[in-house]
Amino acid sequence: MNILKITNSKQEHRRCVFPIFIFLLFIGSINLSAQNRKLTLSLEKVSLRQLFNAIEKQSDYKFLYRDFILDDKKDLSIRVEGKEVTSVLDQVLPGKELQYKIQGNNINIIRKYIVSTGTPITIKGTVVDESGEPLIGASVMQRGAASNSRITDINGNFLMTVQPGAALSIKYIGYISEDVVVKDDRTLKIRLSEDVKKLDEVVVIGYGTAQRKSVVGAVDQINSKKIEDRPVSNLSQALQGVAANLTIQQKSMNPNDNQLNINIRGVGTMGNNDPLVVIDGLVTSLSSLSQLNPSDVENISILKDAGSAAIYGSRSANGVILVTTKKGKLDTKPVIRLNTLVGMQSPNVLYKPVAGFENAILKDEAAFNTGNPLPYSPAQIQDLKANGAGSEWFLDQILQSALQQNYSLSLSGGSSNSTYMVSAGYVNQRSNFVSGSNPSYGMDRYNFRTNMVNQYGKFKLTTILSYNRTESNAPNASTGNLMADGGRIPNYYYYQQKAPNGHYLINDVLSQFTPLGSLEAAGFNKYDTDYINGSTTGELKVFNGLTAKAMAGIDLYADHRYSRGLEVPYYSSATATAPSITQNVGGSTSDWNEKRYTINTQFLLDYDRTFNKTHHVGGLLGVSNEAYSRYSNEIWMNYVDPNLGIPTSQTALAGNMGGKTTPMNTTKSDIASAFGRLSYSYKDKYYGEVSFRYDGSSKFAKDNRWGFFPSVSGGWRISEEPFMNSYKSKVGDLKFRGSYGVLGNQNVGDYNFLTVYTTYNNSYGFNGVSASGTGFQLGNPVLTWEQSANFNLGLDATFFNNNLYASFDFFNKETSGILLNPITPSVLGTTVGMQNSGKMQNRGWELTIGYHAKTGDFKHNISFNLADSRNKVITFTGNEVIRSGDKTDIIRVGSPFASYYGYKTDGFFKSYADIQNSAIPVGLDASQLAPGDVKYKDINHDGVIDSKDRQILGNAFPRYTFGLTYDVTWKGFDLNMLIQGVGERTMFLRGELIEPFHANYSYVIYQHQLDFWTPTNTDSKWPRLALPGSTSDVNNYGYSSQTQIMNAAYIRLKNIAIGYTIPKSITSRFGVQKLHLSVNAQNLLTFSPLSFYDPESSEYGNDMGGSGGGVGANSGRSYPTLKYVGFGLDLEF
Amino acid sequence: MKHIFNKYYTGIISVMLIILTSCNDLNQVPTGQFTDETYWYSTDKASYVLNMAYNQMMNDSYFFANEALSDNLFVCRTSDEKLISSGIGSATTGRFANEWSDCFGGIRTCDTFLENVDRVPGMDATLKARMIAETRFIRASLFFRLTTWYGDVPLFEKNLTVAESKTIARTSHADVLKFVRAELDAAAKDLPTSYPKADIGRVTSGAAISLKARTYLYENDWANVVATCKQVIDSKVYSLFSDYAGLFSAANENNSEVILDVQYVPTLRTWSEYFDFAPPSAGRRVNQQAPTQELVDSYLMLTGDSIHATGSGFVETNPYVNRDPRLAATVLFDGGKWKMPDGTDLTIKIKPGSGTIDEYKSGSGNNSLTGYYMKKYADPTYTGSFNSGLNLILIRYADILLMYAEAQNELGKMDQATWDATIKLIRSRAGFTTSNALDYNSSWTQADLRKIIRNERRIELALEGTRIFDIRRWKTAETVLNGYPHGAQYGTAGVDNGYIRLDKRSFNPNRDYLFAVPQAQKDLDPNLGQNPGY
Repeated sequence: MNILKITNSKQEHRRCVFPIFIFLLFIGSINLSAQNRKLTLSLEKVSLRQLFNAIEKQSDYKFLYRDFILDDKKDLSIRVEGKEVTSVLDQVLPGKELQYKIQGNNINIIRKYIVSTGTPITIKGTVVDESGEPLIGASVMQRGAASNSRITDINGNFLMTVQPGAALSIKYIGYISEDVVVKDDRTLKIRLSEDVKKLDEVVVIGYGTAQRKSVVGAVDQINSKKIEDRPVSNLSQALQGVAANLTIQQKSMNPNDNQLNINIRGVGTMGNNDPLVVIDGLVTSLSSLSQLNPSDVENISILKDAGSAAIYGSRSANGVILVTTKKGKLDTKPVIRLNTLVGMQSPNVLYKPVAGFENAILKDEAAFNTGNPLPYSPAQIQDLKANGAGSEWFLDQILQSALQQNYSLSLSGGSSNSTYMVSAGYVNQRSNFVSGSNPSYGMDRYNFRTNMVNQYGKFKLTTILSYNRTESNAPNASTGNLMADGGRIPNYYYYQQKAPNGHYLINDVLSQFTPLGSLEAAGFNKYDTDYINGSTTGELKVFNGLTAKAMAGIDLYADHRYSRGLEVPYYSSATATAPSITQNVGGSTSDWNEKRYTINTQFLLDYDRTFNKTHHVGGLLGVSNEAYSRYSNEIWMNYVDPNLGIPTSQTALAGNMGGKTTPMNTTKSDIASAFGRLSYSYKDKYYGEVSFRYDGSSKFAKDNRWGFFPSVSGGWRISEEPFMNSYKSKVGDLKFRGSYGVLGNQNVGDYNFLTVYTTYNNSYGFNGVSASGTGFQLGNPVLTWEQSANFNLGLDATFFNNNLYASFDFFNKETSGILLNPITPSVLGTTVGMQNSGKMQNRGWELTIGYHAKTGDFKHNISFNLADSRNKVITFTGNEVIRSGDKTDIIRVGSPFASYYGYKTDGFFKSYADIQNSAIPVGLDASQLAPGDVKYKDINHDGVIDSKDRQILGNAFPRYTFGLTYDVTWKGFDLNMLIQGVGERTMFLRGELIEPFHANYSYVIYQHQLDFWTPTNTDSKWPRLALPGSTSDVNNYGYSSQTQIMNAAYIRLKNIAIGYTIPKSITSRFGVQKLHLSVNAQNLLTFSPLSFYDPESSEYGNDMGGSGGGVGANSGRSYPTLKYVGFGLDLEF
Repeated sequence: MKHIFNKYYTGIISVMLIILTSCNDLNQVPTGQFTDETYWYSTDKASYVLNMAYNQMMNDSYFFANEALSDNLFVCRTSDEKLISSGIGSATTGRFANEWSDCFGGIRTCDTFLENVDRVPGMDATLKARMIAETRFIRASLFFRLTTWYGDVPLFEKNLTVAESKTIARTSHADVLKFVRAELDAAAKDLPTSYPKADIGRVTSGAAISLKARTYLYENDWANVVATCKQVIDSKVYSLFSDYAGLFSAANENNSEVILDVQYVPTLRTWSEYFDFAPPSAGRRVNQQAPTQELVDSYLMLTGDSIHATGSGFVETNPYVNRDPRLAATVLFDGGKWKMPDGTDLTIKIKPGSGTIDEYKSGSGNNSLTGYYMKKYADPTYTGSFNSGLNLILIRYADILLMYAEAQNELGKMDQATWDATIKLIRSRAGFTTSNALDYNSSWTQADLRKIIRNERRIELALEGTRIFDIRRWKTAETVLNGYPHGAQYGTAGVDNGYIRLDKRSFNPNRDYLFAVPQAQKDLDPNLGQNPGY
């Protein structure tokens, strides 16, 4: 589609200097009558365009035309005095084969269609894209004779009978339409260019769509092209790096435990930061993103600001993700598409132990340094060296490369009044943990979808039904334990997990079980999830511009888990006759079922109309109800039959069965809403919009149930102003936009406003008989909506004939009444459910740049985004809370939420005198410290290092996140890559990866720890070696300090794919329309100051641990980073 | 156009109404939990709240961790108790915060019971009086725990509001004790001396009086210790159980010596600390804490002599023979026996060179760092990973006898009769037979007797969580908790005569006799103040 060129008259220009919002009041009040004038012109050698400009200057007329119908020949000379405009046009237009039509003060210039009386001829045409590939289903229509139209066939061909001189209009969605005039040729070849220009892109917004140029909110849209062909096992992974301030952190790449954090515009609240996810108009949970078949997705809109999100008022404070799935196209033949991606994922453990004998030598050095007896004699070290050749690290023994396969098959098409899209998908991702003779661990997902649209006159019925099933087989052991236990055994030849006779062996370090035994013999956790997302929407065009729409849908999850714990005997040696310890004594069976669903009903009235091509008015009014229900039950038995897991005479129901019966786990909630939007735009130049949502939630007591969430936004396309004419022609489009609104959040437990009593089994016992006990939690009857006030300012600009698109946004968000588990004094003796306390500010910016270029046969497509957000706690009960556990962090007024907290270091002690003259941690004996131990900064200069010296050390939330996608095609070849990264981030890393021979838990020193302090290596990264438990060790690693703080900035080549499309001339012989082959790789390269740990990993969830928890820390417990290399095959019939 | 709109308008409004009134209601109440309105309707439900108070009265983790604060044990890994005994406990130490919040949590349960029990319709009056007395006992025991650790603590008799909880100040230690004693007196009146079978484990009047005796003991209020202990002794409800080792076995739960305990139920309500206390070949996980050489050394020879006494017959190279039988019942040493669930006895070889997985290794925190393992309360009837249903005794009759003996001696009233009714009974039950060990020696001075009684108390009650309170009230903590603790003689030859030198301890008498008021609590309630030195 070409741009409708609109030029403005002087008078209107005067009117338009009013501020934008005034226009909202002006609807219907603008004087629309034309004021004709006689023209006086004296022009030499001008083009039509120049003539029109001259006429516009002298009159109220404005000319509307499509650019391509004017030639730029300066061949007109006109002299008239006091003539009507019609006479001027009559004079010049016939020669250009053009005609005009005056409507009000608009003059439409269109082509003159010569209806020849000549003999009709039959022409054969072919419609192709720029690379010469045929376009199937393009529409070809004779101008002025709409009934004479054709659709191109599977080879892009059409046959048509027309008179010579007739004009044909060729259209194809996503391509720029072309008009051609039939001359004498009987064959035509029409080449359509892809429409890659951002301004006309149709963007999905809340309950509707809009053109990019008219969007005044902060909305990013990710189209299917960026999602397809990525060898990822779920949709969320594919979204990483593709939109500014859509921060996705993959915490674990384990297919059984795929943990992702999704934040839109950073951390805005201290509680739940999950964005609202809406799939085809149905509100669902964040986890649903991982259930979809990525190939089914047409586009994803990210609504970031209040202007765009307020229509979802209630839960949109953390942003909204709108997913629209693919539909068929009207009047297209069936197209069958098959996408295949098959590859291997190899585990990439970034830390490696030193050789066995080196480990022993260094442990001796540590013991020597701290005055302990040497654990290894020279003979033992010799022995380790002599026999060390064949020893393999436990972690390497339990990890393997694993296959990942993605298949997607779809059939889509449509007739003149209905479309269909039917698809099936299959993903199979195996785990990187070995499984021995067990069925392999990993995940299988099956997707089925039917999207149908049927049109009956004014009535349109859309039915969407998707069924998704995930089956997962996971080890009966946590990833953390498997990784940590595998990693903490030094490479000594005599440590073995399994003897040749099949005995699983324990040793003095792993005295309970080993990861290999757990993986091969200790049972499994089988999960399956059935997810159904379906809706029926009826739309009726009531009258001009007004549509009524009713929708009913269900979002249903049925989750099931079946776990078995199997007894595994462990022996102290291969020759031992009796096991010395048994894992999962007696064995266990647990069976858990859950059903949860949301029934969503909506009714909307949508009004959209343009008056006089000038005033575009949109209105939306709707009501909706979302009813959520959850039921679950669980049974858990110990001492079960080892083979079938069924009860035996000894079977006991496991420990505390409380909270596992259906009534216990039933929760219901409900939200009723009314919402609306009113938008107005004037000549695609001024935009104004107000929207609101009024929500009532069952999570709050009656009096505090309803929340009102309004927003207002406006835009000014300044490049449309006459004074910007030269800017517009030389530079491009320019638009300012802004929004302000209040959004809500109700992410609290279902009954937090009530004081509740919960009865627990087995709380106490009397004379050997167990007794129930009741605990309680205080409710907060005044609980209500959390509110976040959002301000957004944005700028959109295009350059170089719209080939470069740039967008910049600044936002400021203040969330108040944050729903927190209040920190109450312990003397209260209980907890208070939730409270509206706390206030937080979050501000940041986003930059998005898109660029299209063509150099010779190369076509480049670049998009880049860069964003930042930073938050600050404004009010918090008690002003601060320090959370200590594996790490220490702090929630403190004035600082970013959940900042790392601890001691600053000042290098290492240089000498004994240095130790004497320095403050040391309180309670430590200075005589036990030595040069090379960590020196801390005595911030308050009181001579000791104690809790008062602690400082904020950093924050784990990524800043300056960026993504760069680059696609280039050359003839049949294509290359695309995604580079993604984080500019600033700190990470707290604890345990064995920091401290050699960590706390008598790990017995290993890793290669990255070798740069430790010695008298000859004083400029080291790490302090001197010391045995765990020694004063030096306590000093060096016993405090949360900068020693554990890492710089986790990174740049990662997330994805790269090189492909080739076999020329159609070859494939068509086999009936194949398209055959594309590719090689793909993921996570191929990473650059980071943190070399021994995945910089993307995070101990936090997307709420930074929220207000209550988050005391874990990054350690050698994470699933390894995976590198993927594979092949792709796309077939189209 | 207008009439068209009207037509649709009517339709639209009706659809809207249908949608808004369908589906779930906006008024939702939980189905798996009771609310304040629906809870207090039966005696059973009231009793569940009381049961929760029992649950919160004391737990296994404090029971064993308290001993780790004393010189009887050494923490081989890391814990708050290790920090505290290393002298680096601070107002932010987790144990200080947890003890505080756990006690007040239990107090809230008690107060909630007391404030609502009258709402229960048709409750039997006697039963109600007893349940109220049980609750008041538990609440008093929690305030006593608090004031013992922290000195001055907030004291209140009904549930605080959130606002009150942010302003309440501390009541003096003396006043808290006064309250505790008055409550125990009141409870004792309504509590029975014993229960029918189904209720065994509930607190008795004997428990209330015994706990009151403790409140005097910890204040060195000897006359009152004597008076209250005498009440218990004279009641003749309790007697020493015949077999010291058997006293802590599942077979002999609820025996005649038990005055107050924490009750457990096999497989259903269990504790599993021995998973981290037992020796490696017994299938344990790691070693969290282990007895010290100092504890082992405090056990007498069978002759009744200290191992240091000349002619005691003690042989350093074969140190565990001819010792007080309570040593083998309490501590697992090299060559000692460990009973497995299948009834077999494992012989545990700890001495380096044995080549077994139990062997002591320097610097390996997975095995005991002291060369000893805990044994008292090891329960061979455990299921799974050392899940034991064995009750943990908080006050037993031997303790009453020891309190009585100590108080009599402090009052200068120790004599043959008192000795025979206390120490002699305890020692002969332990298995001593010689006169030197059993009989009163009139030449002993008060100071000699003080030493003897204190040592007897240490041995008899070792690993039962009482030692830390004794060394604090004796003010000997500053001596025994300063310097290096030791393990068995497997250490570096030249250092401390070859006894393993363990991590240094430090006890600051100006600070460490009280726990710190938790920093976070102080921040939330500025009226709390802080104990000296923190």
